[in-house]
Amino acid sequence: MDLKKEQLLDIYKKMCTIRAFESKIVEIFAAGKIPGFVHLYLGEEAVATGVCANLETKDFIASTHRGHGHLIAKGGDLKSMMAEVFGRTTGYCKGKGGSMHIADVDLGILGANGIVGAGMPIATGAAFACKYKNNGAVAVAFFGDGASDRATFHEALNLASTWKLPVVFLCENNGWAISNSQKTHQNITDISDRASGYGIPGVSVDGNDVIAVYEAAGAAIERARKGDGPTLVECKTWRHRGHFEGDPGAYKDPKDQEEWLKKDPIPRLEKNLLKLNYAVQADLDKIKADTEADIEEAVKFAESSPLPDPQELFTDVYAD
Amino acid sequence: MASVGIIANPASGKDIRRLVAYGICFDNLEKVNIVKRCLLALAVTGVDRVVYMPDYYGIVPRAVEGLAKAHHLSLDIVEADMEMTGTQIDSAQAALAMNQAGIGCIITLGGDGTNRMVAKNCGDVPLLPISTGTNNVFPQMVEGTIAGLAAGAVACGLADFPAVHRTKKIVVLKNGKPVDMALIDAVVLKDIFIGSRAIWDEERIRKVVVTRGEPDNIGISSIAGNLHPIGITESKGMAIDLGPGNISLMAPLAPGLIRPIQVAAYKILEIGEEINGEKGPLVIALDGEREVEVGEGEEVSFQLTFEGPRVADPRLVLRQAVAKGYSQGEQAMKKLHRLKEEN
Amino acid sequence: MKQMTYAEAIRDGMRVEMQRDPNVYLAGEDVAQFGGCFGVTGTLYDEFGPQRVLNTPISEAVIVGHAVGAAAAGLRPIAEIMFVDFMGCCMDELFNQAAKMRYMFGGKAKVPMVVRTPCGAGMGAAAQHSQCMESWFTHIPGIKTVMPSTPADAKGLMAAAIRDDNPVVYIEHKQLLGVSGDVPEGEYVVPLGKADIKREGSDITIVAWSWMMQKALAAAEQLAAKGINAEVIDPRTLIPLDKDEILKSVSKTGKLLIVHEEVKTSGFAGEIAAIVADEGFDYLDAPIKRVTAPDTPIPFSPVLETAYLPSEEKIIKAVEEMF
Ligand SMILES: Cc1ncc(C[n+]2csc(CCOP(=O)(O)OP(=O)(O)O)c2C)c(N)n1
Ligand SMILES: [Mg+2]
Repeated sequence: MDLKKEQLLDIYKKMCTIRAFESKIVEIFAAGKIPGFVHLYLGEEAVATGVCANLETKDFIASTHRGHGHLIAKGGDLKSMMAEVFGRTTGYCKGKGGSMHIADVDLGILGANGIVGAGMPIATGAAFACKYKNNGAVAVAFFGDGASDRATFHEALNLASTWKLPVVFLCENNGWAISNSQKTHQNITDISDRASGYGIPGVSVDGNDVIAVYEAAGAAIERARKGDGPTLVECKTWRHRGHFEGDPGAYKDPKDQEEWLKKDPIPRLEKNLLKLNYAVQADLDKIKADTEADIEEAVKFAESSPLPDPQELFTDVYAD
Repeated sequence: MASVGIIANPASGKDIRRLVAYGICFDNLEKVNIVKRCLLALAVTGVDRVVYMPDYYGIVPRAVEGLAKAHHLSLDIVEADMEMTGTQIDSAQAALAMNQAGIGCIITLGGDGTNRMVAKNCGDVPLLPISTGTNNVFPQMVEGTIAGLAAGAVACGLADFPAVHRTKKIVVLKNGKPVDMALIDAVVLKDIFIGSRAIWDEERIRKVVVTRGEPDNIGISSIAGNLHPIGITESKGMAIDLGPGNISLMAPLAPGLIRPIQVAAYKILEIGEEINGEKGPLVIALDGEREVEVGEGEEVSFQLTFEGPRVADPRLVLRQAVAKGYSQGEQAMKKLHRLKEEN
Repeated sequence: MKQMTYAEAIRDGMRVEMQRDPNVYLAGEDVAQFGGCFGVTGTLYDEFGPQRVLNTPISEAVIVGHAVGAAAAGLRPIAEIMFVDFMGCCMDELFNQAAKMRYMFGGKAKVPMVVRTPCGAGMGAAAQHSQCMESWFTHIPGIKTVMPSTPADAKGLMAAAIRDDNPVVYIEHKQLLGVSGDVPEGEYVVPLGKADIKREGSDITIVAWSWMMQKALAAAEQLAAKGINAEVIDPRTLIPLDKDEILKSVSKTGKLLIVHEEVKTSGFAGEIAAIVADEGFDYLDAPIKRVTAPDTPIPFSPVLETAYLPSEEKIIKAVEEMF
């Protein structure tokens, strides 16, 4: 709650950066410039941003297939990210990982992940290491409503709560697991209800309100840092696009889509910033334009970067 | 034909007070259980129709489904005529629909916040509020079966004053125009955002206006309770300015969270009296939740009235009803026997 | 005969068997209204309804695990795992439960279930969405492993897999889904354990399956122009393996090249090579060769992925080196 003007403008800039990055991907994917699958974070920007605004570089996150937002929010470098999406040597993973596996271990980003639900045990392990080393760091596992049906969710929450690990299980409930609405894949509506089964607190917040996310994640992260163990935080949100680029999302009711577009987290924050006189419209326009320029530059960097040498195929399989 | 409404809020009991204090985790399955008990009780009263608020979890339909195999409920259970939005507005919409449908009593499951939304639209329909929220003053800790029996008695016309009584409220005015209301407390916060809604940090509180306050309340109204208690039926309220002053006291602001409070000044309010002059930017919390953002250049005031919802006290209601033969004699037994046969 | 894509043929195989046997049902992620992540289940939901075509949560362990229980209790489930790469999430259910139940119970149980799952690289899907891992399954006694390469085989083998009283892993290749071919209409069964000579030849035997079979055929055409007449054999099912057909061919050609898309080490080519070295040593006039993916995870960047994948050129080069 103690968000100062500068912090809030920072948060705004991060959210705009994610939006600009993802919007650019829509464009270049449609133009056939990038291969593979891309799952975009458009509409969910408030979650990653609100959570990561509470984290330090030493803290860990485990991300998902829908990972670009988490990476940017945790401080990922736009050029290295974009180059990875383009499969270039200058990418975060030298072009070996692609969108679904971008990582920056130095920033505590333990990778996007192609396996739904795989991040929770990994974050649990990172939290174990933090506790073991007693370095005051924490871990956050991002995962979706669909992922909360994986065995890994249940095993990770059980272990982390039993061992009282400094980890936050951060559910991005966007109401869908590909074509399955939440109603059709689980018998509950508030995933935070599952916390009580593991003896930990669970809370649900409006995931399209970055301040609400910041507060709830902040309280959970503080609990973790103080040694009070894990927390399950559910952020209710909505993905604007299909599951991946190329999925028209025909299963969504257009009425729901329309309602959720009205709750778009970015205009919501803008309204607050203007009302508080933290910015005038021209300031916001400038921030947006700046982030778009950053993304253009990242694309230029990516496109002008070299493709990997085929011999790269054989490196990095084992540590030497 | 006697009918009862049920407004069960699936979102209550899950807010951030579980992290920053020790709020009860109230999962929706337990709300389903409570509704089951209410329905089983209502079935033995003279009530024949239950109207419920649709919600995204389906609390009432799940309760009905859970009972269907083992019990034959001689109740007509129907959804309120409204469009579900999945937000707190639903509670107000449901109350409106029930008011218009001539319901005899509304059972609510939720906290102060839920009841506040219901109170906006329920008119003269008495409420029987069951507590499922976190820091509640308005609803009571009442067992579901008893709540059902009491609501049935109210709907059948077996209870009146003082078992069913009018409550106070605070009208919130922005630049002179009413914009919202509170049942228990309106709080002026130094915050600028609504954010995660709940309040728990006394350092952010500037001013408190209450309709009542007892030392055994939890939440902001406990400040009044520990200063100068005001009862539910007393024709007065209180305004308190927080800040450096002569009075310091302790108050349980949230479950497990007893905080030191510095009172700069306080004032007993008469019915109809207005407190003016709070200038934005600030946020107003109503009944424990940040609700109204007040921008720069805007001004808010608060007015105490005795025009809050009518509320049924289950113990007093049942006493009155028992005195009228509610639980004895042929009528009561006939119903029970019939139910037994049907099952 | 009817022109169908490989995906349509798989669907037709399931459809015909579901019409034949009310105990056959289909469960998996997004298989119902959505028609499957790759569109393979298509309209089956509309045809058979929610009783027999069921969406599941993202819960691979119980997708396969429930199929084991349902099969043991008398049904014939088809469980879909969206990518073969996700089999790691349900391996216990497959290799400790489905595979061993009959044996452990002294032959008193049967587990007639099919796990359908797509495999294969070539679409830039990177390390966790591109693998071929058939030897994971062939290594487990009690499981059958099916890998069709043509639309007709896809349909006939699906019918056989469903009718089989054992757990069958049926692996469909993503690159083949859109490939068309003639497919018999109505009931059509290709027995498990029966190889198919996809091209007759006399100079060398190439054994390949799934997408690599198509690559081997294309390579064989080019080799023919160079005067090398290759015989291309598609075992179609790895377990059971039609080793007689392979040995017969090698006895004729004297040379054996095995091609697969999974990594080399512990890949199924090693098994076939060992069988032929063991039982057909006298037929051979050259060492047995393998063309496979290298022992690395699958890279994202298309340049690297191309370098990773076995190709016609790599097959031709390997064959030429054997002469
Ligand atoms: C173990 C596993 N099963 C299935 C998939 C295929 N898959 C990828 S994303 C996805 C849906 C995930 O839903 P959710 O967790 O809610 O995340 P969202 O896509 O909504 O962000 C599925 C089924 C996978 N990648 N991994
Ligand atoms: Mg989701």
